[in-house]
Amino acid sequence: MNNIIGIILVAGLLLLNGCSQSDQTTKDASAGKVIKLWVAPEESQEAFWKIVVERWNKSGLGLPVEFKTIPAVESSEKAILTALVADNAPDISTNIFSGFSTQLAGLGQLQDLSVMDGYQELVSVRHMETIMQDWDQNGKKYVFPLYSNPTLIWWRRDILQRLGITKIPETYDDVYALSKQYAASDNKYGMQIMTGKIWYDRWFDFISFYYAASNGKPYVKDGRAVYNNEAGLAVLTFMETIYKNGWTALDFESDDPLTTGLVVGGVRGPWSISFFERMYPDTLKKIVVGPMITKHKGEGKTFTLADSKGLVIFKSSKVKEAAFDFISWVFSNDEISLLWLEKTSLPPARGDLMDNVIFKRFYDTHPMARQYASYVNVAIPSAFTQSTIDVQKTMGFEMIDPVKFGIKTPKEALADAIRRTDKILQAEH
Amino acid sequence: MKIGNIDLGEIKESQIGAALAISFLLFNVVFWAYPFIWLVILSVTEWRFFDVPTFSGLKNFFIVLNDPEFWRSVWNVIRFLGYYVPIVLACSLGFAFGLQHIGRGKVFIALSFLVANISSGVAYSLVFEKIFSSTGPLNTFLADWFGFTIPWLSSPNMAMLSISLVVTWKFVGYYGLILYSGLVAIPQEIYDAAELDNTKPLTKLFKITLPMINAQLVMVLVFAITVAFGIFTEPYMITGGGPMESTNMPLLVIYETAFNRLQPSRAALMAIIIALVSYLAIKIMRKFLEKNVELV
Repeated sequence: MNNIIGIILVAGLLLLNGCSQSDQTTKDASAGKVIKLWVAPEESQEAFWKIVVERWNKSGLGLPVEFKTIPAVESSEKAILTALVADNAPDISTNIFSGFSTQLAGLGQLQDLSVMDGYQELVSVRHMETIMQDWDQNGKKYVFPLYSNPTLIWWRRDILQRLGITKIPETYDDVYALSKQYAASDNKYGMQIMTGKIWYDRWFDFISFYYAASNGKPYVKDGRAVYNNEAGLAVLTFMETIYKNGWTALDFESDDPLTTGLVVGGVRGPWSISFFERMYPDTLKKIVVGPMITKHKGEGKTFTLADSKGLVIFKSSKVKEAAFDFISWVFSNDEISLLWLEKTSLPPARGDLMDNVIFKRFYDTHPMARQYASYVNVAIPSAFTQSTIDVQKTMGFEMIDPVKFGIKTPKEALADAIRRTDKILQAEH
Repeated sequence: MKIGNIDLGEIKESQIGAALAISFLLFNVVFWAYPFIWLVILSVTEWRFFDVPTFSGLKNFFIVLNDPEFWRSVWNVIRFLGYYVPIVLACSLGFAFGLQHIGRGKVFIALSFLVANISSGVAYSLVFEKIFSSTGPLNTFLADWFGFTIPWLSSPNMAMLSISLVVTWKFVGYYGLILYSGLVAIPQEIYDAAELDNTKPLTKLFKITLPMINAQLVMVLVFAITVAFGIFTEPYMITGGGPMESTNMPLLVIYETAFNRLQPSRAALMAIIIALVSYLAIKIMRKFLEKNVELV
């Protein structure tokens, strides 16, 4: 009897709670309240959010959502910062990388998601416990990661075959050997080592190579630069050897060198798949994907960088709970995760990506995307530091450029970069 | 004469003048004085966009004083001027002299050169980035025909020269027209007199033409110095300030300090320093080069 009374009481309370929540939502909605969402200014992600927001608004499960792409003239970060300063920021924004989230958290602009109702359930349903550990900021979780893009190396299969190479290069020696052969042809190079001149390009060259060489060790830890080690030296020595022998061009700003056949290989992320499908479908057919290269081939999968971005709720939001309800609804739904994958090809940040049957059909028909997904568990996000830009600019200016031009030895360059980075990080604290 | 109820005859000329000038004054108060006062306040405070500025005295000054990146960028302005001034002066003079000798289509040619001046900095920077790339069309041509390439943008020594060439391309038409206006104002009689004296062409150039267009030359130099301190789009888009900070200009440092490092107070002080240094540079240049040329 007591049990029955207990059940009735609990059910009654739940009903009341549900009614009051629903009443509140209706009140808020009728008061013209909406959840403002900004999404990455990228065609495929915009297409995804269009469908999802429409479904949510039709469902009537919560406050309606208004979405638009981040009005980024130069960068998403500037647009978000401007909106925050001008007091017209949205409630939720996607496209937030680790460094920017650290800056915003340092300025007290982000809501700690781990204290929101339903956070644990959301993390659990997506098996994100391990992933969320990488996004911990002093015990708080300001960012909910949406996707995790491992960087891997694309090789031109046709050129490898022409050179008589049957195995995908995995070590520095493999790259030296093929570079020597291919660079003997007129105006050709072995591999694209540097991705570009901007600070964020370091994610796709030095940091990716460093994670591979160090088995995923951090390059910034406890407010200090920590890449002055065997792995850092190995990567720089590799770069020096390639540049010294003219096995890569000083820059490849003209055209993608994989499409022109100027190089045999280069670091690329999964976003390049849809880009090549649109722009260079013929080249894409000739591409074979391999892991990041290291000095010696180790056991298991080679570590790499996760170019990962997530969403945040701003502290200034007046509808934080409603915003989190919307997020929970979107990201606890497996079908919507599949829709994300179909629309963007970017691996959703989930721990069950390779085990969940719902993704199997997609990956069975998209072998390149599957290869990227299989590296998600060994892909490490970039460092959480407010000085991301300065840390990575220093890698370029103080370390890679001088090694490239033979001005410093790898050892000297590494020591100088560490010294300058430590100074920057000390100033941050 | 009446406009509505106002009899214009009753209003003094000075009052009309003041009324007309007030719009300009208001514009300056809103868009110049207010930001400038805010800039000065910021430079002596600690502010990170979201909090209330707190007075910090000379703290920002000492931080900026010890910022090697900032002072390297000031040195880069001098390096830029070292390349830019001779190249742009030579090209603009060449353009102005050429224009003097063109009969038909003078306006069309002058306007064609001005197109570069009004083009979008971002658009042409992207084009030049491709042209100057190690694997771009210019180097492919050099490699095919002469067997060598030039690291236009990837060498720390060459990158600033390449940026100077791009900025020269942008301003050659504009500066050229200023110099041309000076050239056409020189009385022909002076050259005729020089002819009678059998003056050599180079002597004519250095003793007559250049002194006679001193005002225009000084004006062009003032513009060139202003451009050097204010250059942003080209290094930002083409080299990103590299390689090895060789094209990192003050405005790039100010921009990054304000919006990437989120230190607007320090950036404000940097902006004030740059304004003062550029003013000083112009003053020095005028003191040494400006001549009062009069025809008597």
